[in-house]
Amino acid sequence: MPLSAYLTLAALVFAIGLFGVLTRRNAVGILLGIELMLNAVNINLVAFARFAGDLAGVIFALFTIAITVAEVAVGLAIVIVIFRVRRTVEADHLDLLRG
Amino acid sequence: MTAETVAFAGVAVVLLGSSLAVVLTPNLFHAVLYLAVALVSTGVVFLLLDAPFLFGVQLLLYAGGVVTIVVFAIMLTERLVGQTIRSASRYLVNGAVISAAVFVGIVGFLVQAPRVGVRPALAGDLTLALGRALVGPFALVLELLGVLLVIALVGALYFTRSEA
Amino acid sequence: MSLRVGSAGVAMLVLALPFASFLLLALVRPLRRSAVAAATVSITAMVAAVGAAFWLSWHAGRRVPLQSPSTTWSWIPADGGPMATVGVMVDEISMAMAMLITFVSLMVQIYSWAYLHDEPRASLGRYYAYHSLFAFSMLGLVLSPTFIQMFVFWELVGLCSYLLIGFWYDRPSAARAAVKAFWITKLGDLGFVAGIVMLWAAAGTFDFWDLFRMANLGTLPHAGLPLIMFLIYLGAVGKSAQFPLHVWLPDAMEGPTPVSALIHAATMVTAGVFLVTRAFPLFLLVPGVLTLIAWVGAFTALLAATMACVETDIKRVLAYSTVSQLGYMMAAAGAEAPGAGFNHLLTHGVFKALLFLGAGIVIHVFHTNDIFRMGSLRGLPWLWGPFVIATLALAGVPPLPGFFTKEAILGGVLEARLMVPFAMLALTAFLTAFYMFRVVFLAFFGRGPGDAPAHHHVPGLMSGVCWTLAALSVATGVAMARQVLRSGHHDGAPAWLPAFSLALAGGGIVLAWAMYQRPLIDPARVAGALAPLDWAARRRYGIDAVFTGLYRFVLLAFSRLIGWLDRYVVDGVLNALSALTLRAGDRLRRIQSGLPQDYVYGVALGALVLFVLAQWRLR
Repeated sequence: MPLSAYLTLAALVFAIGLFGVLTRRNAVGILLGIELMLNAVNINLVAFARFAGDLAGVIFALFTIAITVAEVAVGLAIVIVIFRVRRTVEADHLDLLRG
Repeated sequence: MTAETVAFAGVAVVLLGSSLAVVLTPNLFHAVLYLAVALVSTGVVFLLLDAPFLFGVQLLLYAGGVVTIVVFAIMLTERLVGQTIRSASRYLVNGAVISAAVFVGIVGFLVQAPRVGVRPALAGDLTLALGRALVGPFALVLELLGVLLVIALVGALYFTRSEA
Repeated sequence: MSLRVGSAGVAMLVLALPFASFLLLALVRPLRRSAVAAATVSITAMVAAVGAAFWLSWHAGRRVPLQSPSTTWSWIPADGGPMATVGVMVDEISMAMAMLITFVSLMVQIYSWAYLHDEPRASLGRYYAYHSLFAFSMLGLVLSPTFIQMFVFWELVGLCSYLLIGFWYDRPSAARAAVKAFWITKLGDLGFVAGIVMLWAAAGTFDFWDLFRMANLGTLPHAGLPLIMFLIYLGAVGKSAQFPLHVWLPDAMEGPTPVSALIHAATMVTAGVFLVTRAFPLFLLVPGVLTLIAWVGAFTALLAATMACVETDIKRVLAYSTVSQLGYMMAAAGAEAPGAGFNHLLTHGVFKALLFLGAGIVIHVFHTNDIFRMGSLRGLPWLWGPFVIATLALAGVPPLPGFFTKEAILGGVLEARLMVPFAMLALTAFLTAFYMFRVVFLAFFGRGPGDAPAHHHVPGLMSGVCWTLAALSVATGVAMARQVLRSGHHDGAPAWLPAFSLALAGGGIVLAWAMYQRPLIDPARVAGALAPLDWAARRRYGIDAVFTGLYRFVLLAFSRLIGWLDRYVVDGVLNALSALTLRAGDRLRRIQSGLPQDYVYGVALGALVLFVLAQWRLR
């Protein structure tokens, strides 16, 4: 399959993930969308690495995965704390940044 | 119709289907499970791209670790224990439009790029090369990553500690 | 101290003394609050100034011809020499004016002490401070060597006039009169300043001596000079109450009587005549303007005389009389006989001030200004003596000075072949004698309700000052008579002129006697015979109404318009801008909903925009 196939696949998954971020009401749901987007990015990186013969892309993807794990951990910790304080994780109710 | 093409098509279908399911299922728990499927299929894509090590990492960290964490978080953040976890969506049309626009934007760049169809020959074992790179040129980055993970761990612990 | 003090130094001293008095009274509050101290400071300064002025005239007589009588220091710097200088100019006319100003000021200040005895102490202190400032301003005006310095003092004199007319500022009529005087003279001043600046633009200097030299050598540019000199004349029109800017002077009688004696008889109003006399070498270059000055002067004289005939307020009669006499002086200048006009200014200054002060006495006795309410002071010659002497002087009866100076003016006008102005001035002379003696007969010898003048205590200061001025008038008249008899007749004037003017004066006196002292001619029937004139004169010919109308419907309406523009357009724009900003801010605020997904929308939209931009660039 040509490179563009992989890239298109990644783009689709990215768009789907974005859709999830934009429409989900639950905070955890939003995080799931983010996961999909990061996944798509990884596919992109590895595809480019393979078709260019460069290792750097794969290493980048590796690190991205690791960082994503850290990010998810911290993010969910925040969600849990919010839940403790406000007893809800619905995104519509989390408008403390309102200007 | 090579084996690779068939495999790719299959994985693509699974991946796309599970992704859509992740974002569309009302039930959050189901969404997490679908996410697990999506992550595994991504791993298979990595396999198809001659990166078996990454497939392993993906399964371990993503499909294993992240999914577990999310499940725990869901459990901890629902008000009524035992009740079906429901979650609806907002402004579906707006979201769909924007996402579609972003997709179109990206593809727009893709179609203008020159077509690359041929993979270069594999230069040795990827895993070995990765290992060498990680302790070689990318050693510093590796160490920093470790630090980052420690920070994240400590941070998460700190956030969620119970006020004594 | 050097033995020989230069005349410039003494001139500066004459200026400095009243200024120092003013500063002292203005800055040192306790000094001002104590009326005694204030009067002492002011009068002492004035006495010293009189002395200095006399010294000046005595010693600065010999002036080297072709040498500038001015002593100046540079003031406004500019490339190639100062743009304007400041200093003093000591010549015949400024020395004469200085003597007049200082002497009459002193007399008035002494008189005021008795006249305003009932004023609150602090108020009286303020009065003397104003008097000092006025003396300084007027002296500065006459001693100025340049147009621009004269203008500065001109405006200062106007300010003092406002302050003194509106001295009793809690009286609305006084406040209005002060403002009216200010506005009307300001109208003339507009022309004055415009003229000065245009003259500077044409000639490059404000200095009198330089300008006169240029005029003599013919190097003054002729283009536009008539307009320039006309504009400068406008300043004199305002200050010296020529038609049509004469309307402020009768209303200015709201001020205390001594103030009227000083500034509306002898000094401030004569500033206009002084200006024309001072700038006469320049006016000589524009004979058309001079003719206009003569006509306007004569017309003003006649107009004011007719209005004085129907007035009942003694101060108003004197005010109109002043306007009339100022017209005489201007007519003389216009007829190229400025010397005659200036002499009349000097003599008139003394006996007009005396008239006002004498009127002050009779007002003090009867507590009214209305001549029909005054009664008989027949048996008290020390009260009516000075007033009658001054009246005779004004009417033009020899050997009092008015006869000689008036006759000189008539001669000058006749010599210039200005026939209609001559006729107007002759008629005015007749009317002057008539209305002045009307006042004398009604106020001093009449049979009004204010009879039985048994105990009318008039302070010695007041009558003393009046007799001093009367003596001065008589002495001046006698000196003039002696000079005329010695030098034969005036050159150029026809031989029938003295007899003619005497006849005019006599005729007026006789008519007044017939109408008001003996009921030979009924005043009502005379008024009936001249009904339209009488009607118009009583209403001041509607000129006041014109000005009031202009003020109310043009000036105030214009300022209302400007006010509206300021409030709704200028402020409106600013208010609209600020309101717009606030509203926009409120609307934009909604972007910050606080919901993270909305922010993701924003990021996505931004990314889309970047995509579009990048695509566009690639093309």
